[in-house]
Amino acid sequence: MAEHTVASFDEDLGQISRLIRDMGDLAGSMVGASTRALLNSDNALAQRVVSDDAIMDARQRELDDRAITLIAKRQPMADDLRHVVGSIRMAGDLERIGDLAKNIAKRVGSVGVSAAPRDLSHSIDSMAQMVLIQVQAVIEEYTLGDATALAKLRNDDERIDVKYTSVFRELLTYMMEDPRNITACTHLLFCAKNLERIGDHVTNIAENAYYVLTGTQLPANRPKQDETAMSAPAA
Amino acid sequence: MKPMLSTELNTPDAVVDKAKIEVKNLNFYYGQSKALKDISLSLPERSVTAFIGPSGCGKSTLLRVFNRIYELYPKQTADGQVLLDGQNILDRSQDLNLLRTKIGMVFQKPTPFPMSIYENIAFGVRLYEKLSKAEMDGRVEQALKRAALWTEVKDKLNASGLSLSGGQQQRLCIARTVAVKPEVILLDEPASALDPLSTAKIEELIDELQADYTIVIVTHNMQQAARVSRQTAFMYLGELIEFDRTEKIFTSPREKRTQDYITGRFG
Repeated sequence: MAEHTVASFDEDLGQISRLIRDMGDLAGSMVGASTRALLNSDNALAQRVVSDDAIMDARQRELDDRAITLIAKRQPMADDLRHVVGSIRMAGDLERIGDLAKNIAKRVGSVGVSAAPRDLSHSIDSMAQMVLIQVQAVIEEYTLGDATALAKLRNDDERIDVKYTSVFRELLTYMMEDPRNITACTHLLFCAKNLERIGDHVTNIAENAYYVLTGTQLPANRPKQDETAMSAPAA
Repeated sequence: MKPMLSTELNTPDAVVDKAKIEVKNLNFYYGQSKALKDISLSLPERSVTAFIGPSGCGKSTLLRVFNRIYELYPKQTADGQVLLDGQNILDRSQDLNLLRTKIGMVFQKPTPFPMSIYENIAFGVRLYEKLSKAEMDGRVEQALKRAALWTEVKDKLNASGLSLSGGQQQRLCIARTVAVKPEVILLDEPASALDPLSTAKIEELIDELQADYTIVIVTHNMQQAARVSRQTAFMYLGELIEFDRTEKIFTSPREKRTQDYITGRFG
């Protein structure tokens, strides 16, 4: 894309892009760290995620300020306008991802060491890997301007939803097998739900990014697999 | 990027209303130099159409073709067709006075006549109609009300038109245009010399007038075009680059040149 006649306009837009990339990196590292802390019962790492969330919030506020100032000063049009408004929305989703990662981190102490046998947390681990890949990919593809990859990535969230359903059933089985697992498994269930919600925010980001890049909206409904047969949770 | 077909240029999507003005393969020359190149577009009735583009792109020239005001100058010629309700106004047999009663024009700088506010309006009406004093009073009042100027000038109709502020003078010019009951109003940068409040009043006026008139506005103020018009044409170097619904032009234009211009990236 050609440069603006007013060079400082490009700088202003560049700063907003940089904040989105920073927030995306931070979201990825928070999601990765929170699940690692959960699986390894690493309280120190969990604590770091909690404090990272404050940085995430500060970044979002800075982005909001810059975006509002840019709109007031420059009245952006067309792709510039989509870029600024899209960034505000993407920052909102990234901030929520940070919150959900923080929530996972806060549960690390409650799950405890002994109560989370390796096999019990194995499927959470693989779910977390899927989510982490999505979080990292969405900002990277947006930065590269790859709309096709974003559309595909949005559809990939389906796999996370299916995975969540299977984790749900698995944890339910552990609880039925031994009531002493209930506390840990309930916390793990919330963690799984958080991961699933993170996937939804990634989907939102992908949709926004697609709109910013192309000016057209993706269809409202993405292909969905019927999960009712798997006795999925309602929410 | 999808190549634009000429048929797509003719009418923006979702604008299905009756065309008031249809331009077909219009070329315009200032002597040897070609200022408009094969322009085709269709302006819907009772709706605001904006022409945008950098200086020298031909937007004002196109506006000046619609009432053949260019003929006041030597060596300016047009070919092709401009149909007003299906009638080619470029036809030699076209009565120019009649055409200009149907198509009124307001210019960048307010151009009140050096006479009273009342006479500024009555003068034009008298050229075409014989009205009694009472009828003329009614027509003047109606025109001033239409131009949202009545309450400000009703007690000083005999004051000179030149005594008004710039914004008021411009609204007086709009009142003068409206008084002869035109069908189309051409606005050439009508608010560029006005302060923000007067600009807002003119824009409010445009919004109201479109219920009764077909309005064409040329403006350098992109936000103004986005605010007041229903469809926007982007012109560059005498060509019509893109013509579409205004929302489309300002949020996701189809053509890169349109995008570059409205986002301030033009080289």
